[in-house]
Amino acid sequence: MTDRRRTERPADLLRAVSVTRAFEGVVALRGVDLELRRHEVLGLIGPNGAGKSTLVNVLTGFDAPTEGRVRLGDVDITDWPAYRRGRSGLTRTFQHAHAFGGLSVRENIEVSALGVGATPAEARRRADELMEMLGLADLEEVPASTLPHGEERKLGVARALATDPVFVLLDEPAAGLNEAEVEPFAEVVRSVRDDHDAGVLLIDHNFSFITAVCDRVQVLDEGVTIAIGSPEEIRRHPRVASAYLGRGDG
Amino acid sequence: MRRRLAVWHLLGPSLLVVAVAAVGTTTSPTIQFQVRSVLVTAAIVVSLYVFVGNSGVISFGHVSFVAVGAFAAGIASAPAEVKPSTFPKMLPFLANLEIGNVESLLLAALVGAIYAFWVGIPLMRLSGLSAGIATFAVLIITHNVIRNWEAIGPGAKTLALVPPTTGFLQATVGLLIVMAIAYGYQRSRWGRRLRATREDPLAAQASGIEVHRERLIAFTLSGALAGFAGGLFVHLLGSITTEQVFLDLTFVTLAMLVVGGIGSMWGALIGALFIAGLNAFLVELEKGVVLGARELDLPSGTRLLTLGVIMFVVLVTRPEGLTGGRELSWPIRRRRRV
Ligand SMILES: Nc1ncnc2c1ncn2[C@@H]1O[C@H](COP(=O)(O)OP(=O)(O)O)[C@@H](O)[C@H]1O
Ligand SMILES: [Mg+2]
Repeated sequence: MTDRRRTERPADLLRAVSVTRAFEGVVALRGVDLELRRHEVLGLIGPNGAGKSTLVNVLTGFDAPTEGRVRLGDVDITDWPAYRRGRSGLTRTFQHAHAFGGLSVRENIEVSALGVGATPAEARRRADELMEMLGLADLEEVPASTLPHGEERKLGVARALATDPVFVLLDEPAAGLNEAEVEPFAEVVRSVRDDHDAGVLLIDHNFSFITAVCDRVQVLDEGVTIAIGSPEEIRRHPRVASAYLGRGDG
Repeated sequence: MRRRLAVWHLLGPSLLVVAVAAVGTTTSPTIQFQVRSVLVTAAIVVSLYVFVGNSGVISFGHVSFVAVGAFAAGIASAPAEVKPSTFPKMLPFLANLEIGNVESLLLAALVGAIYAFWVGIPLMRLSGLSAGIATFAVLIITHNVIRNWEAIGPGAKTLALVPPTTGFLQATVGLLIVMAIAYGYQRSRWGRRLRATREDPLAAQASGIEVHRERLIAFTLSGALAGFAGGLFVHLLGSITTEQVFLDLTFVTLAMLVVGGIGSMWGALIGALFIAGLNAFLVELEKGVVLGARELDLPSGTRLLTLGVIMFVVLVTRPEGLTGGRELSWPIRRRRRV
């Protein structure tokens, strides 16, 4: 399954090309470019309201850009509906709870695999694997609506990974996890890059977590990219310090 | 455990249906008719559940598919000697048609499926209140077409002399078939994907699920089952008017589904058996029954009043319905984890 997909869909690059998104009254994104490669973790940081979630929405088809394009490899996917992007290996998690509340943890994960065309047997196998990997195995039969916040975040990630993605966009997946949980979670993100050979976009406010897992970091502020570079470069970047780091969790 | 439970989720309700039918055969002829009608009504409610329960989208239009199934089956199987004189405007092809029992039921299912698919293409883009209103509009349109287009329908007349083939055997087997298909669909990848869209349509799309397509599949299947149930219905009654598959039936079947619990097939069945059983009982009471030395004769109107009050009480005390929208639990040992 995995191997067949990789030969059929060899898109190696996800790009936002000068994306602008104007809401009534607010311009959330102003000509933002972003490149996410396979086999990398790209951090996307910036204060609240910077436009990070809006960019994820535009990239995954949950919102349309006012101007600009989205490209997957050589293909312009700006007009593709979200489900089609999902099937092409481009998926996401949501900043706010979007679990299938009435379904059990296992069903949540399995149905995400079924959504992209996996067989029921394959879906079961992926669910076993992901519950193990994310430490959800004991919660298999629990309805997702009753999960504590931290577990619900992990389930979102498990569900995204169940689609066997080529690019996975994680919108604050670690928010609400405690320090002890963040380290194993960083391990999960690395394994998505290394073992699944996927590109990961990671939004988070915890700068040490970002530093620990990201290959590159892009900083947004008020809808504009103010810096791109290695975690070390970003840490030292003067505008980043004043726009973002200085303001704490913003 | 999971597999055994899965079998039980179909087997348990099926045993109940067989038990109801078996007890029904031992009763007086009028009660027998009531029991068979309860079984057919349950088939309609389960067909409704296939779409509404799994998609979470309300449909007030489902009786349209029951109606087209009933009239397709009824017109196609009523005797060809009488149709041309009773319905002079009917298309000669239909007036001269006279098909057998099995063909008639299959035709009902096919017509229900095609019609549901066709109206479903635009309808399935809607959710919430607009879906409710638009499906209701389909019901009104369907009713008026069947009632007024005399080339294909009976008009304001009664369609009579339909072979009364829905005895206990067909009512029971028919309901069991509808339940088996409903349950098979619910456990299939299509059914599971649709349930995900019910829980969260946005998140479902992130997992590659196309909401419109999954809803349309369920709507079509549900239309086929409703059409089939309509076929059983017309062969139960023997004669039918367009009013019998219109507003009352829509309200009653939706109420059954809600009272039983929208989210499970068990809920659909329990709601149907409970309300239809109660309804049948009250019908008999309104006609007057002799209890020991006294005759109990309820004033007319009591039936609907009682039904209304009971639905109200059930929904206020158990908003999720009698079953809470869950499948039948394993009777002996229940595994619980939190
Ligand atoms: N649907 C919307 N309608 C109007 N304004 C919106 C909408 N979504 C986001 N915004 C605005 O766009 C800006 C960026 O929001 P968002 O992308 O959620 O920021 P971030 O994820 O970086 O915190 C904010 O000012 C927010 O209020
Ligand atoms: Mg955000």
